Amino acid sequence: MATMLLWASRAASHLRISVFTRPFASVVKDLNYADSHEWAKVEGNSATVGITDHAQDHLGDVVYVELPEVGKSLTKGEGFGAVESVKATSDVYSPMSGKVVEVNEELNSSPGLINSSPYEKGWIMKLEVSSGGEVNGLMDADQYSKFCEEEDGKH
Amino acid sequence: MRIPRNLEVWKMGIVNYLDALKLQENLVNARKVHKIPDTLLSLQHPPTYTLGKRRTDHNLLVPEPDLKNIGAELHYTQRGGDITFHGPHQAVLYPIISLRDIGLGARNYVEKLESTMIELASLYDVKAHAGRTGETGVWVGDRKIGAIGVRISYAITSHGLAFNIDPDLNYFKHIVPCGIADKEVTSLRKETNMALPAEEIIQEQLISCFARQFGYDSVSWKEGASILSAVSEIE
Repeated sequence: MATMLLWASRAASHLRISVFTRPFASVVKDLNYADSHEWAKVEGNSATVGITDHAQDHLGDVVYVELPEVGKSLTKGEGFGAVESVKATSDVYSPMSGKVVEVNEELNSSPGLINSSPYEKGWIMKLEVSSGGEVNGLMDADQYSKFCEEEDGKH
Repeated sequence: MRIPRNLEVWKMGIVNYLDALKLQENLVNARKVHKIPDTLLSLQHPPTYTLGKRRTDHNLLVPEPDLKNIGAELHYTQRGGDITFHGPHQAVLYPIISLRDIGLGARNYVEKLESTMIELASLYDVKAHAGRTGETGVWVGDRKIGAIGVRISYAITSHGLAFNIDPDLNYFKHIVPCGIADKEVTSLRKETNMALPAEEIIQEQLISCFARQFGYDSVSWKEGASILSAVSEIE
């Protein structure tokens, strides 16, 4: 089975078509998700923010992350930075309102953490959140999974 | 039932880089609120060097003031990618399209831009291919014939691709193109044995390849005065 998959991957990359080595991108329970593919982990009045596995998979290898400034205030839905991959810069949007209290400096030297560990080592920023109620406007893991399925079914 | 998708193409001739940038910003905002359909700008630039978001100006090999002496401008942009050159006889396409509507991510989008240029090259019996991982663009052997640099904002694209029909390749000597040293830049003129038709025809073929790669059902065209009125509507 493993050798067949290896052969299939090699053949596919030669022909430049996609091979699905796993069915769907991973989703983590207990996180909240925006329809622009960012996630937020809320603990008290602190929220950690990153982009999802679905997002990093669709972006390709991340080569550069534009981080927000610490101290900046963001409103929900506001652009807070960008991620570059395959010569494309993709803007990223804050899933919640709050103040940036910490950014993941490691992404400056290791932007690929976003690909290899989108929910953990690839976290992008931490916010001090002003309104815990905004989480209600975000999707839970099951809703987000379904959302991704529908989006990917469009082409 | 699938809704038929139309692509609106604006044929623009030679456009100053900053004017095109401003226009794209307005178009992205209009596309975001569904004021316009998927739109494709087809144009050329006067001699212009541009840098991407990473501002890799160490890949500019001449001092910036010298660029004026060779009749070129330099601009910093928000697109992805490294330093590049745009000039007359290079076909530039700026698609302003909604990736969300067609369920594409950045990687698939860029692959289709590469395929667009590869398909065009094949019309002239030139065997082009996409770069290896990390070397986005279109190559003939190890000579680069097409470049890509894209921005995606609210899932709407701007900037795009540049395909060398027959630009003055000497301009590329002043940069490390796309940050990749010791690789040449080439053009359709240099690579093909076929006689090239008028540039306008090649640009239209490039547009058709794009429309086919992205599965549009129909293409509508704007040029001249109808562009001016469309611009004033979105400003």
